[in-house]
Amino acid sequence: MSAPATAAAQLPHAPEKSKFGLFVQIAMVLAVITGLELVTVYLPFAAWLLFTILVVLSAVKFLFVIFVFMHLKWDKIFCTILFFIGLTLAGGTMWALLKLFGAEASRPVTTMAEPPAAAVLVA
Amino acid sequence: MTTAVATIDHHHDPTTTTGIPNKKLLMWAFLASDCMFFGCLISTHLIYRLHPPPGTPPAREVFSIELTSFSTFILLMSSLMMALAVNAIQKGNLKSLRWSLLTTIFFGCIFLGCQVFEFTNFVHEKHLTITNSILGTTFFTLTGTHGLHVLIGVIWLTGMLIYSFTGRLQEKDAIDVEMMGLYWHFVDIVWIVIFTAVYLLEYI
Repeated sequence: MSAPATAAAQLPHAPEKSKFGLFVQIAMVLAVITGLELVTVYLPFAAWLLFTILVVLSAVKFLFVIFVFMHLKWDKIFCTILFFIGLTLAGGTMWALLKLFGAEASRPVTTMAEPPAAAVLVA
Repeated sequence: MTTAVATIDHHHDPTTTTGIPNKKLLMWAFLASDCMFFGCLISTHLIYRLHPPPGTPPAREVFSIELTSFSTFILLMSSLMMALAVNAIQKGNLKSLRWSLLTTIFFGCIFLGCQVFEFTNFVHEKHLTITNSILGTTFFTLTGTHGLHVLIGVIWLTGMLIYSFTGRLQEKDAIDVEMMGLYWHFVDIVWIVIFTAVYLLEYI
């Protein structure tokens, strides 16, 4: 058998050799982002800015895990589509519920404690 | 003459219509549905935080952000070890697989231990129970359900670790470990969302 045929047969294993280093690097990035999130909540910035920063940092962590650790980057696109269908439905439901219950008309008639700033921002 | 080495493509399966191993497709469909399940639980918690009834204890005084950050770090590291376990079985390296699985189980148990400590502390020190306030109800339901997912994951991992010693787990069975890995990583990403939506947002 020719050499190129052998190389082609071994091809699926070739990129996996470097995955160890990639996984460790991603894990370190995730740990650093978690540290940044923790520091962020103590920064003296406006609530909306802190909220945006936290959401972006969480989204970055989320995407790193699903695309690298969960192999979506190397799998067929259909896996990504399937998962994002569920994610979109979940996100849409959350958005709809928070908008619905965040409306002024949804406020309970009984006296309430003051809602936390973050809960108001989410709605 | 050189002999071609038989290799396994772990990301594609030409024998199925979709080109994706059926087990993997099933797991992704399950995870997509679990997204909606957790989405509803997180929404419920946030809605009741939006309209806290009188007498609701301030969450900032109840939560321990240091402990939760430590738990988050532990779960992220367990995800790394799980990814390395999948990588190991895909190369047919059983020794590496066993060590990676053992470390993942260890980290999973630490996370569960932290959660048990947190719950015990909330009930006995902060007097927050699942029945005495809406915050307690939504918080314990959400994080408890996540903890149950972690427990199921730890049991699954332990079963796989024991199975690896029977000699029947080989490189061709990597899909079984990968499925388990997908579940474990999903538990991790759910925690990423819970950590921000439930804990960190209370501090801004």
